[in-house]
Amino acid sequence: MSIIDTIKLANEYLQQILEGRKPLVGIVLGSGLGRLADEIEDPLIIPYGRIPGFPVSTAIGHKGQFIVGKLSGKMVVAMQGRIHYYEGYGMNLVTLPIRMMKLMGIQYLFVSNAAGGTNLSYSVGDLMIIRDHINLMPNPLIGPNLDDFGPRFPDMTRPYDPKLIQLAEEIAAQKGLTLQKGVYIGCSGPCYETPAEYRYFRAIGGDAVGMSTVPEVIVARHSSIPVFGISVITDVAHDTEDEEYVTDGEAIVKAANAAADKMIVLFREMIAKL
Amino acid sequence: MDSRITIINEIASRVKERIANRKPELGIVLGSGLGRLADAIEDPITIPYRLLPNFPISTAVGHKGNFIIGKLGGKTVIAMQGRIHYYEGYGMDKVVLPIRVMMAVGIKTLIVSNAAGGVGFHLHLGDLMIIKDHINLLPNPLIGPNFDQFGPRFPDMTRPYDPKLIKMAKEIGQELGIELKEGVYVGGTGPSYETPAEYKFFRIIGGDAVGMSTIPEVIVARHANIPVFGISVITNEAHDDYAEDYVNDGQDVVVAANAAADRMTLLITKMIERI
Repeated sequence: MSIIDTIKLANEYLQQILEGRKPLVGIVLGSGLGRLADEIEDPLIIPYGRIPGFPVSTAIGHKGQFIVGKLSGKMVVAMQGRIHYYEGYGMNLVTLPIRMMKLMGIQYLFVSNAAGGTNLSYSVGDLMIIRDHINLMPNPLIGPNLDDFGPRFPDMTRPYDPKLIQLAEEIAAQKGLTLQKGVYIGCSGPCYETPAEYRYFRAIGGDAVGMSTVPEVIVARHSSIPVFGISVITDVAHDTEDEEYVTDGEAIVKAANAAADKMIVLFREMIAKL
Repeated sequence: MDSRITIINEIASRVKERIANRKPELGIVLGSGLGRLADAIEDPITIPYRLLPNFPISTAVGHKGNFIIGKLGGKTVIAMQGRIHYYEGYGMDKVVLPIRVMMAVGIKTLIVSNAAGGVGFHLHLGDLMIIKDHINLLPNPLIGPNFDQFGPRFPDMTRPYDPKLIKMAKEIGQELGIELKEGVYVGGTGPSYETPAEYKFFRIIGGDAVGMSTIPEVIVARHANIPVFGISVITNEAHDDYAEDYVNDGQDVVVAANAAADRMTLLITKMIERI
């Protein structure tokens, strides 16, 4: 089935389920950040597995679902569990949920992720506003252009919306939240980065590195949707080759959980002001 | 069972049948022109790749396609005489299949070698470079459903090359008077050689040598927590301000690799004695 047919079928199903709900904001919840979904009121839960054409896999598990409901008085749709390229899916499927949220009518996309800090001044648990990205994954727009969604050659001058970044910084100042601001590097994973790769990412201007987000942002920007992105720094640069250093997946989940509260406050306040 | 595992197990059992009671402790991957190390293996059993079910065939110049099992440095080893390259058109699952087969056969350590272009100006034709780290510019071989039997979904890559083996190599190098350089290997797909601008790019990002192999194999071994030692033979020098009459010739690569192969064979044999 072509991607156009897949999108059409999935959209028919979703429109039926949504019963007229029209979310203003789409939210992508990254590793360990799924808790924001618990705060959504009157939630309508749509498991990916029930949507025609959506990838069904053990990698996504039962957490792969859309949650539609109210947050800060606005109708939102959250993706609890994203689809990663490293799971082996093509980019069309990785970005399919973003296309669906576009068709649900979202006017803003908020993306979040857990990332490794390549910037030596970052600490575990920091929040970083993504001000720009460097894509080291295949481009999700390769293939025939989906003219209904956007142009063949979309501009990427402002992948992350300057007004939304300003709003986040104002709220952070009011609430006393410290935010970093930097460039996110997206690469495929799934193995973590070597020390030499960390140095490489720093040399080309990266502040954080992760295995997601960039394909989603490109697809949203293809459709001119303003994007706000935030990384929770769950790991810091280790290019000193310290003999005792170990990248620990469990520590990453813990750090993400600790920072999630701050991120939730920020997202709620921002959405209230949209 | 995962059909990918069935394929690996089938090939491994075919290899085990052929080698009977021999139990290889180490796997060795022989790079372009370095297949001669295989000649040093005593009492060898040769298993051509083409006799193994679902096994990719090496088509690269200077690469034969055999597993060779026998004694080296007093230990039983399994060597790949000829590796599978991504540029040959095989998917990453095929490129790393031989490594997974060697792991299923029971290796505890992996030694990888390659012919590489010198990116750093301190590297010269015929130098041996210990690989201390890498930068992967090829597709990651672990993309797809995880092989839980081999290792975790998100493997650590803090120490892709084993610090103890690196230390041992340096000690042996000193004892035998073999000069060893050390550096970061950049892996790109090939098969075209690098442009001068690409050479400069690799230098800027911290690379010392560049080649078209090795990293997928190392990632898959590290996924299963197998310690790795890697060595590059420098068969080409940085040429980003090269003369107008400079020509990059595949034949030169093979000749330079052959010249360095003897020193590498000596080093690796001594290392295996001590592992």
